[in-house]
Amino acid sequence: MSAYVQFADTAKSFGPIEVVRKTSLGLDRNSLVVFLGPSGCGKTTLMRMVGGLDQPSTGSILLGGEKVVRPDRRRGMVFQSYSSFPWLTVERNIAFGMRYRNDITAAEKAERTRHYLELFGLADFAGSFPNRISGGMRQRVAIARTLAAGSDVLLMDEPFGALDALTRERLQVELRQIQIREEKTIIFVTHDVEEAVFLADRIVLFSRRPATVVADIDVAAELGPQRPLEIRETQKFFELRNRVLHLIRHETGAVV
Amino acid sequence: MVELAVGVIAAALVVAAWEGAARSGMIAPQFLPSPSRVLTALWTMLTQQNLIWHVAVSTARVWVAFLLAAALAIPIGIVMSSYRIVGAALEPMIDFIRYLPVPALVPLSIIWFGVGEETKVFLLWLGTFFQLVLLVADDMRRVPQEFVEVARTVGANSRQVMTDVALRSMGPTLIDNLRITLGWCWTYLIIAEIVAADSGIGYVIWTARRFVKTPEVMAGVVVIGLIGLVTDQLLRLLHRRLFRYL
Ligand SMILES: Nc1ncnc2c1ncn2[C@@H]1O[C@H](COP(=O)(O)OP(=O)(O)O)[C@@H](O)[C@H]1O
Ligand SMILES: [Mg+2]
Repeated sequence: MSAYVQFADTAKSFGPIEVVRKTSLGLDRNSLVVFLGPSGCGKTTLMRMVGGLDQPSTGSILLGGEKVVRPDRRRGMVFQSYSSFPWLTVERNIAFGMRYRNDITAAEKAERTRHYLELFGLADFAGSFPNRISGGMRQRVAIARTLAAGSDVLLMDEPFGALDALTRERLQVELRQIQIREEKTIIFVTHDVEEAVFLADRIVLFSRRPATVVADIDVAAELGPQRPLEIRETQKFFELRNRVLHLIRHETGAVV
Repeated sequence: MVELAVGVIAAALVVAAWEGAARSGMIAPQFLPSPSRVLTALWTMLTQQNLIWHVAVSTARVWVAFLLAAALAIPIGIVMSSYRIVGAALEPMIDFIRYLPVPALVPLSIIWFGVGEETKVFLLWLGTFFQLVLLVADDMRRVPQEFVEVARTVGANSRQVMTDVALRSMGPTLIDNLRITLGWCWTYLIIAEIVAADSGIGYVIWTARRFVKTPEVMAGVVVIGLIGLVTDQLLRLLHRRLFRYL
């Protein structure tokens, strides 16, 4: 099976600053891949190129064999902050994902919005504005919006980075369940090892800038697809986490 | 509510002290007429000297100039921050003009436009446009990149990004900046009406001054203050109505 998202000799520089060194990497469909690496190494840049928000300096990125040239709704973005529009209610934020679609009727849009409100436990907050709900709720709104838009690739840039530990844990569990149930391909950027191991089917570890792949870890082979919270307390999880930490210390050139 | 009461009581105390000082006879009435004399003057001006008409003329001048300034400053400010080259080209000039005090431009404006309405509107426009355009450019720059990118990802074109996201995101600060520059516009109005006018509230004050009618001068000042206060409060109310989500 060929990769769904393919980095093909992709490299990126901003003026004289080399941010991503020539990289080739294929990501499978319906898997959750975590990009892990020291901050400032180029993870966001890699993800923005998949989103079509930045263009590679050389090489290209292919989605389903097709070259990515501009953003479109097949790839939805979830950011750490400013993830939802403060002037729209929760319901209308989710519906925003479909706002510019002419291929489905208003009734279908309303139906889909309702569906995702329920799925994310947001129905009671449908009429609330983002400033009135918790940070965790706001990130749920953002994820619901990308799903409502019909994206099958989710690009998540440290989406839980600003949340408290408990909320963060809960959202990680939910995200994993949704990924399996909705069959999405997710690229998840984080610099939190614990989060990476818990969520990932696969972890791609990048070096300090300019980013290059220094390790590629098949987490699914060791932890399986289902990730209940208790898995964090297993020995397998613990060992894997330590291995990743060790790699970060010795392979990325990160100063920790 | 408590704050409002405290504010009203404090203002009442100041007025009472003023009345007391004026009545004590220690200060000549042509310097400090009592509040009651000012009120009487105000009443006479309203009933016999067409004050309402002068106020209407001034208000119209302010709003015409202000709306002209806003109508140009909003699109130009947005373009300035959307296209770096435009910003780089315009910003130094605008910055220079912005620091010219409006009174310094009165003679030039009279040479160009004479002493008619054009001069007044031009001066007010001058005083607000250059300030506002930079404020708008700044508001636009502050629109989070994430909002724009989310919109582009779900298929918004440039125009939709502008109307559905950038303008919505700027809304609260934009309305605030409009409110503040409208206040400045009133300041320039008085200058414009003092130097070249035969109508308007500035003209009324200046004429009264020539005959040392201090109560009338003060009544005129009070009226300007009241208009400012009422306009400002109305715009604040509008702000709260429009941006309930804040
Ligand atoms: N638009 C840009 N212009 C110039 N430099 C940039 C730009 N975007 C990112 N960079 C630089 O690229 C490097 C990697 O950034 P980023 O991809 O955000 O890293 P990460 O997400 O891993 O923390 C940083 O040093 C950053 O300063
Ligand atoms: Mg980043």
